[in-house]
Amino acid sequence: MSTKPVGALGPIEIEVIRNALTAAAAEMDVTIWRTSRSTIVRELLDYSTAVFDAEGNNVAQSARIPQHLNSMGAALRTLLDRFIDAEGWGEDEVVATNDPYCGGQHLNDVLVFKPVFVEGVRVAYVGALCHHIDMGGMAPGSYAATATEVFQEGLRIPPLKLIEKGVLNQSIWAMIGQNVRKPALMLGDLQSQLASLDVGAASIRRLAARYGSAGILEACSRILDMSEAAMRAAISAMPDGRYEFEDCLDDDGISGEVVRLHAVMTIAGDEISVDLTGSADQQRGPINCTPAMSNCAVYYSIIAATDGAMPANAGCYRPIRIIHREGSVTHCQAPASVAHRVAVSHRLANVMFGCLHQAVPDRMPAAYYGGSYVATFQTITADNKREVLVEIEIGGTGAAPAKDGVNAWSFGMHNNSNIPVEMIESSMPLSITRYGLLPGSGGDGQYRGGLGLFREWRVESPTAVFTANMDRFRIPPYGLAGGAPGSLGRLLRIRDGVETTIAPKSDGVMLRKGDVVRLETSGGGGFGEGASRTAEARARDATLGYA
Amino acid sequence: MAGDRDLAATGDGIGALKPIRIAVDIGGTFTDLQVFDGRSGAVHAWKTPTTPDDPSIGLMKGVAEAAERFGFTLAEVGLLLHGTTIATNAVLERKLAHAALITTAGFEDVLEINRHVRRDIYGLAPDPNPVLIPRDARFGVVERMRADGSVETALDAASVADVLARIDAIGAESVAVTLINSFANAAHEREIGAMIAAARPDLPVSLSCEISPEIREYERSSTTVLNAVLVPVVKAYLDRLERRLGDGGFAPLVFLVQSNGGVCSLRLAAEQPARLLLSGPSGGALAAGRLAHLLSRPNLVAVDMGGTSFDVSVVQGGRVSVITQGEIDRLPVRLPMVEMRTIGAGGGSIAAVDGGGRLSVGPRSAGAKPGPVAYGRGGTEPTVTDANLVLGRLDPDFFLGGMMTLDMPATRTAMEVRVGNALGLSAEAAAEGILTVTNAGLGAAIRLSLFEKGLDPRDFCLLSFGGAGGLHATDVAAEIGMREVAFPRDPGTLSAYGILFSDLVQDFSRSVMLRAEAAALPKLTEAIAGMRTLADARLAADGVAPDARRIEIAVDMRYHGQAFELLIPWGEVAVPDAAALATLEEAFHATHKQRFSYSNPGDVVEIVTLRAIAVGTLPKPEVGEPVPAARPSVKGHRRVFANGAWTEVEVWDREAIGPDDAITGPALIEEAFATHWIAAGWRAALGPAGAIIAGRITP
Repeated sequence: MSTKPVGALGPIEIEVIRNALTAAAAEMDVTIWRTSRSTIVRELLDYSTAVFDAEGNNVAQSARIPQHLNSMGAALRTLLDRFIDAEGWGEDEVVATNDPYCGGQHLNDVLVFKPVFVEGVRVAYVGALCHHIDMGGMAPGSYAATATEVFQEGLRIPPLKLIEKGVLNQSIWAMIGQNVRKPALMLGDLQSQLASLDVGAASIRRLAARYGSAGILEACSRILDMSEAAMRAAISAMPDGRYEFEDCLDDDGISGEVVRLHAVMTIAGDEISVDLTGSADQQRGPINCTPAMSNCAVYYSIIAATDGAMPANAGCYRPIRIIHREGSVTHCQAPASVAHRVAVSHRLANVMFGCLHQAVPDRMPAAYYGGSYVATFQTITADNKREVLVEIEIGGTGAAPAKDGVNAWSFGMHNNSNIPVEMIESSMPLSITRYGLLPGSGGDGQYRGGLGLFREWRVESPTAVFTANMDRFRIPPYGLAGGAPGSLGRLLRIRDGVETTIAPKSDGVMLRKGDVVRLETSGGGGFGEGASRTAEARARDATLGYA
Repeated sequence: MAGDRDLAATGDGIGALKPIRIAVDIGGTFTDLQVFDGRSGAVHAWKTPTTPDDPSIGLMKGVAEAAERFGFTLAEVGLLLHGTTIATNAVLERKLAHAALITTAGFEDVLEINRHVRRDIYGLAPDPNPVLIPRDARFGVVERMRADGSVETALDAASVADVLARIDAIGAESVAVTLINSFANAAHEREIGAMIAAARPDLPVSLSCEISPEIREYERSSTTVLNAVLVPVVKAYLDRLERRLGDGGFAPLVFLVQSNGGVCSLRLAAEQPARLLLSGPSGGALAAGRLAHLLSRPNLVAVDMGGTSFDVSVVQGGRVSVITQGEIDRLPVRLPMVEMRTIGAGGGSIAAVDGGGRLSVGPRSAGAKPGPVAYGRGGTEPTVTDANLVLGRLDPDFFLGGMMTLDMPATRTAMEVRVGNALGLSAEAAAEGILTVTNAGLGAAIRLSLFEKGLDPRDFCLLSFGGAGGLHATDVAAEIGMREVAFPRDPGTLSAYGILFSDLVQDFSRSVMLRAEAAALPKLTEAIAGMRTLADARLAADGVAPDARRIEIAVDMRYHGQAFELLIPWGEVAVPDAAALATLEEAFHATHKQRFSYSNPGDVVEIVTLRAIAVGTLPKPEVGEPVPAARPSVKGHRRVFANGAWTEVEVWDREAIGPDDAITGPALIEEAFATHWIAAGWRAALGPAGAIIAGRITP
């Protein structure tokens, strides 16, 4: 095939290349799905793959989870700016890191990147992020609720060349394996990440055989420009103004004080700025975010609100400016702990929805439950056999301006499935005694919030250890336009018929055979005055037992 | 039901049949027929409009038309193989029975909570997943099984009586029963079934242990509930169909096409209509499996491109790929079915240019109404079909064999105004651009379908069918490095052709959750024996002679700790020994390695579910090679725009192409319901079974 000179790409070629780059990210995605070993990657699908331009801007992504969205671009940019000299980064070299303070997420998320060269010219980078089942630290799964420093949370890998001049660094490989609880699974998943980079690079080189290195470079730059233009057009359609909102987390699990998240969003023409400096100081508990983590919530919310069909890439973020205060909970400083950083991220999405509601009131729903209810059980049998169950529960979504919220639906920053009762009971000494919707948990309004749910686990082994990372037990999901808030969560231990409250952020809660743990999650907020709810809707709520 | 009655009437079972066999595939617009005449060995295709209100009317009309045209009497029809979307459409249109659901107390909401993952990440006002039985029609009974099959709480008969009264109060027409862990012990479900049958003999009951006895409570509930809401609907249709049988001596044995690529009796279809839900792709996949054999090309990628979708299925080593779960309208159906990847790209996909100057093709579709601009039915946005017309690949005067005229001036104008001007391109360049973008997308879908199985496109031949497939096939194949494309005869009725060669196939399953080790052999033997007895009885009841029965076992397996399974065939095993178990384990490791690129031979392997696939072989028609029509094989020439220039190309007449014809691209091949584009760099000739085979001649 002939290669085309610079500037020769028409709109047809641009669209073909755009789709091919997305397909490359999808093939990388399938590679990880095919070759990874742990359940958290294979079943919860907690990973993402992406393609970046020669400067490290995200151009295509196979995103599964909003929390990952574009966090990888931030990580690549940070490591290029501060740690790795791009000119000295060769074709057969892979850089890896899980450092939250180099654009990473929590320590479980390991990122790997590799440049793609064609005719001696760097045309792109490919990257992959996986949530690893364990990275060491004080708690199994590296998800401690009471860690106060990142050092307690596990092994921290600065940006380093895991593969240098085509050779895997065996010393680093061995050191990682030595520091994690499930080395075979962890290193197996890491291996699958490396395999996906080769697949992505091959895919881009195949494309370059047709369009040349100059063609790929030109296409990437125009793809970003086109998304930027579409994003600016969408922002221009929103009314200019200054919109302010705040919401809070219950606490950080240690201090007992509420944690404030606050935003001032300003729309001016085709640009948006979001000032988060009014948010609380960073916390001792592991809920802190770096900008790369908290920005995900801002981007997610604005893309959702623009209702745009533009392909999500770094171009979309150019018209958005986010202002943080260093030392705050949205821009924490090392060595703050970050394992449950998704708590701040969820709440920030709630805050952004509140701001955007003032600009586009016909689009934004009331608050969703706004948290990942992470529950971990480790059962211990008489012969000391241990099994671990990690569950992530969800609640109800907020009512939309012309629609009830959805009962028990994964929403906002995460997106995960439940685990079948029968699978749990078949694989470990734990049973589920009840699982259902929670009547009355959705906020009342012209449109009702979706219902939260309850789930009860009963210990069937002599002992078990329970860990919780949860929120919305003191401050409910807000309603909008006169709608009532959704319900608060509850977490109980029931022993011999006696209920005892369990703190929603707990490590090492000891349980014994017959103990039941009951979780109730929040319903979503309502939208509009309850007085305006139609008689038919109220009758239906009564018939179905939703109210 | 009719199947049983007619079977009794024929006396000799399925083996001794009258000469005519008819396969019918009822689609949204057309009812497609393929007729095999046992006296001459000829196969004929026919199409008649579908009658949506009662599809059996169109079916009977089509049969009568075919009888007249192809010279047979209705009394000579021995077998009617019937593909129907009646169950599918009833679900999509919510024309379903009012049903109740009985669950273990405390789990009444499992159906509504579902698995709660969303697909539209950014949607702000999501639609909940459909809930076919609302909360006030779901009732808990006091009972509980453990996962190992032991009883934790005995069934409380009083609570069942109470629930029955409530079912009466809401006037349910059908009942579904799914209890927690019934895959391990179904005794309580069966007790409830017996109590309802005794108290309300006319109320149909769907027990999850009979519909889909597999682990995972939500998927099992969803499948059982779909069955329950369909029973009255499908039974009404089959009753109407049965009443029409007998007219004019038309009294064939009737079998219905299921999702698993086989057919079943009317009786089973009436009791377990969920088995019909995803039968749409079965016909095409059956045809692909048969053509893989006839064309001596065991590795085929079958692509069916119509107006709104592009369906990809894979035949590897001559076997159609089957999966154990599908879905309809976001609801899981846990039953075996033909594997298919569908993307929303078809002739009706709309091309548009957004504010940023980006050309996109799809996912919006003009559908059948208003359809492409060319149809002249009010469509204003250019589609893929319009692009093919502008480029000269479709003949405006020979669309659907001349049944419809296409509006070239309006199409050119729309192409120019809506796409060309926005991109600064001529109408032709815009149209060719639309095809370039479309073909690249189709190629990516095929590459991904193979890639996720660890397969390489270069090892496959592309089988192109559906009304729109032929216009794109050679370009798509070139895009992903495939070197061969097969165009089967009658591509518009290929599903019916596949159905013509189907067998009776019934699936049985049992979740066991055992480690694959010697200690499990007694339990495996017992479970297999139980399923074999049941399967054999079913085939006997359907009139299958003993020597035409075949029962194969397959096993869902995984490494301990994994949460989903691979389906591993175990052959016709009856009493497995240690050696058979070792063979099974080795097959699992090997499949795992091929599909996921690694295996762990030292790790513990689990057997989650056992499956029995009972096949009742129907006698296969001996089909003769089709004879080319006695007229010139080149019917004319046409100007076609390709690679940026207009060229005069030959237009070939599909029915007249003979063994000595050599077709060198660029060229067009036309037939009544399809047009095929042979791109430059390809050469085509007549192959076996009347298929045209195109090969790549340039690297």
